[in-house]
Amino acid sequence: MHMFCGCRENHAGEEFTMRSEEEVNRAIERHADTIRRLCMIHLKNYADAEDIFQNVFLKYVLSSISFESEEHERAWMIRVTVNACKDLLKSFYRSRTVSLDDLVDWPAEAPADHREVLEAVLSLPQKHRVVVYLHYYEGYTAPEIGRILGKNVNTVYTLLTRSRQMLKKELEGFDDE
Amino acid sequence: MNDKWKQAFGEIHAEEALKESTRRFLVQKTGNYRKYHGWGYKRLIPVVASMVILLAGWGGYQIYFKPISVISIDVNPSLELGVNRFDRVVSVRGFNEDGRRLADSVNVKHAEYTDALEQILSSESVRRCLGRDEVVTIDVVGDDERACGRMLSNIKHCTSGHRNTYCGSSNLEDVEAAHELGLSYGKYRAYLELRELDPDVAPEDVQGMTMREIRDLIERLSGNGSEEIPQDNSRGMHGGGHGGNGRGHGGGHHGGNGRW
Repeated sequence: MHMFCGCRENHAGEEFTMRSEEEVNRAIERHADTIRRLCMIHLKNYADAEDIFQNVFLKYVLSSISFESEEHERAWMIRVTVNACKDLLKSFYRSRTVSLDDLVDWPAEAPADHREVLEAVLSLPQKHRVVVYLHYYEGYTAPEIGRILGKNVNTVYTLLTRSRQMLKKELEGFDDE
Repeated sequence: MNDKWKQAFGEIHAEEALKESTRRFLVQKTGNYRKYHGWGYKRLIPVVASMVILLAGWGGYQIYFKPISVISIDVNPSLELGVNRFDRVVSVRGFNEDGRRLADSVNVKHAEYTDALEQILSSESVRRCLGRDEVVTIDVVGDDERACGRMLSNIKHCTSGHRNTYCGSSNLEDVEAAHELGLSYGKYRAYLELRELDPDVAPEDVQGMTMREIRDLIERLSGNGSEEIPQDNSRGMHGGGHGGNGRGHGGGHHGGNGRW
């Protein structure tokens, strides 16, 4: 199916492309969890995560980018989400701290060691968290992370190395293999 | 370890409420995926149009009301007409009491400068002065040489029927210097000429004098005119409080009675 719903007229009488509702709903189902995890890594409350969701998907609706693959689309979503989170964090009044419980709606049966992993990641400095998440959970390589985040690949390597050292201290028996 | 990571992060899911509120937000923001309620350019049209009108109005005001040349008319009434690029008078300024009275009595604003000049030269006070054989000096001052030349030629043409009328032209720098001394340009020019002959003469000294009086004085001091000071010259120069009033140059080098 074509990426766009076709040309429509906006209120200014100008033709522009807008993705269809079906396409957007599919994207929400595909990427919502990833975006939620990125929000968890960066932000401190649900209301902020809601802002990010709305902004990211509105950008998606209005974006004229034709994605070559689902992977391409995922990488775009990650980049836009990370940037949106950073922008939000720049707002000085977004500095409330909340507990992990407020961040995540935990399943009742969530094991303690999972919580330990997440808490260890959240204890890392901001710029390390996303790199750790993308590498260990999403499985991206350092050059891929560099491309997605617009960072130098060596910077990514440094961040990963430093994160490993910190995680080793935090998590008993941490092994990145 | 990787599994542990996968499982830990895998337990984080976007809440259904979050997805639902996002869907609702998008439907509302895009008008059910028909239009985007952002700031489209059409919404900006009234704002931009108002700004253009304001700017055009402001620009037009600036262009119309900015004098690009000045016509300085000096008899005893000294006044200046600011003339815009459309040859219209946009300001009238009197430089002495007579000048201010004359400025108030004529209605020359927005008139063409030639009409304004005609009106001023035919005014009661100027005609009275001219009847006493006074001198009228008309100077066109501006930075645009061509425009000033054209104006000067028009002014010469329209004053050709008047006796004792002298026309000249200069640039705006000179008029600024004149204004700093509180003089109209015509009087300033005469003042400079007079100062060459009497370095002690002050701008206030010439302010109340008629052009005829100044011209006569210049003539006398340069040795071309009569040494005798006419009695009726007491106005302005002598009557204005300078005659022997202790300004320091009264009784000295011009060897005279009264101020000199």
